Amino acid sequence: MSWGTGFELPPEKARIARRARRLEWATIGFFVTAVTAVYLAMGSSQAMKAAWIEDLLAFIPPIAFLVANRIRYRQPNERYPYGYHRAVAIGFLISAFALLTLGGYIVYDSIMKLISFEHPPIGVVQPFGEPIWLGWLMIAALLYTLGPAVILGRLKLPLAASLHDKILYADAEMNRADWMTAGAAILGILGIRFGLWWTDAVAALAISVGIVNDGIKSLGAAVGELMAKRPRTVDDSGDDPLQARIETELRRLSWVKDVRVRLREEGHVFYGEAAIVPSTIDDPIGRIEEAAETAQSLDWRMHDLVVSLAPEVPEFESGRPEGASR
Amino acid sequence: MQCKLATPRVPLPLAAAILILGAAACTSLPVDPEGTLDRVRGGTLRAGAVENDPWVTVEGGDLGGVEVRLLEEFAAGLEADIEWTAGSEQELFGALNQGQLDVVVGGLVSDNPNSLHSAFTHPYVTSQVVVGTPPDLKDEDIAGIEVSVEAGTEAAGVLVKTDAVPVFVDDIAEASGAAAVEKWLLDDLELEDTGVRLLESDHVMAVRLGENGWMVELELFLLERPGEIQRLIDDEGAL
Repeated sequence: MSWGTGFELPPEKARIARRARRLEWATIGFFVTAVTAVYLAMGSSQAMKAAWIEDLLAFIPPIAFLVANRIRYRQPNERYPYGYHRAVAIGFLISAFALLTLGGYIVYDSIMKLISFEHPPIGVVQPFGEPIWLGWLMIAALLYTLGPAVILGRLKLPLAASLHDKILYADAEMNRADWMTAGAAILGILGIRFGLWWTDAVAALAISVGIVNDGIKSLGAAVGELMAKRPRTVDDSGDDPLQARIETELRRLSWVKDVRVRLREEGHVFYGEAAIVPSTIDDPIGRIEEAAETAQSLDWRMHDLVVSLAPEVPEFESGRPEGASR
Repeated sequence: MQCKLATPRVPLPLAAAILILGAAACTSLPVDPEGTLDRVRGGTLRAGAVENDPWVTVEGGDLGGVEVRLLEEFAAGLEADIEWTAGSEQELFGALNQGQLDVVVGGLVSDNPNSLHSAFTHPYVTSQVVVGTPPDLKDEDIAGIEVSVEAGTEAAGVLVKTDAVPVFVDDIAEASGAAAVEKWLLDDLELEDTGVRLLESDHVMAVRLGENGWMVELELFLLERPGEIQRLIDDEGAL
């Protein structure tokens, strides 16, 4: 018996995982060029600085994804007996925090701009010998960052769901936040062109509400995962249905009188226990193995299920335990 | 696996942006939030001047210098009169921030910290402090040679850090031999450029923050006449 088996993704998922990795490398490569373009168009103006910092933050999720992906496949060993799956949870926490930071920064920046009546200055530059209004160059740079951010975000969403990969999901949200803020910045610059100094800040503020919301949701999900909360779907829209399915399937076994399953997420995969009340006690080892195999055959994410036989199913008790301090 | 995916959204800001962009393309210069350019045109330009030879000079109440001449020509093009206020940088930037002045000049350079609360034009000329040597003593390397520099200047501080032997003088016009001077003084002092640059400054004018139409008008005026500005510097900078 080994604690080190079954660590590969199923073949079709491994293919998707490779695609996700390529996508994240593409994201990093693209944002290097985007950061350069926006930096060059930034000039001496403060107005483009926010857009630039946003692009810098967009590096965090792909890097977290790629680092976690290098670590998560390592086999369990004496020092890490449960393996390295939780590297993914940590990467998710970092990505969620980056998303929240982004939203918070934009809220702060726009409000400060509005209350200080800061009129953004945008003058002319002479990049190719001819004077041109810097605003047009800024818009060109922002349009350049906008298109690929839309496409990358769209491509990542289905992969994130299929791989049960929350870093990838947070990254897709980051890309969405990114192109929306680029759009807001474009509207802002057009507003400045028409002498409306506040459009930039108002547009950014409107969009940042959604980003902060996504950030708080993702951060909550990441903390929940590290707290071994009941597994949720990748987009955190509801409980993952696997626990109920396992209980249903195990109840179908002829010798199972009652069963209770609890699961926790370790990155992409689930760990957990099943407490079974058996109707017979002959061949307990064979029956435990049968139950574990039944559960693990239901879903590739059901990584490690410890089956125990119990006289009755455990229940959660309400109220505070004795000795709990308030 | 049940995973609710976010429904694809049409990038509306993108569509809107492109539409407005198309509409705006015919008139491509920005507009002032506070209408400075419209007010100055055919009216009065309120200019602040900080004394800084040769950019702004004050002699017996008369203003002169490169940037004063430039602003006079700029105002003439707009059929505007100039109302000059001479003062310190501190005072004039305070007035500029409050919208009591339209422009401040005085040999300002692009890394001036006042750029936080006012807008600087695109640099319209770059000045350099160089080391020049008499033609008979032409030397590319300044290591070990005596170089005169005006005491109490930024250039003096930079020269100290080089391998040259600094000689501090009160007036560079009275120095002999190699000297660290503004580039436009080289021919007046009959010196030749060694190629050693001690300082480089990008010169700008300051306008009120966010008055982009006004700023662009002034920037285009300055960027269109590099030759004329160089001549002005040579004239005004002459000893």
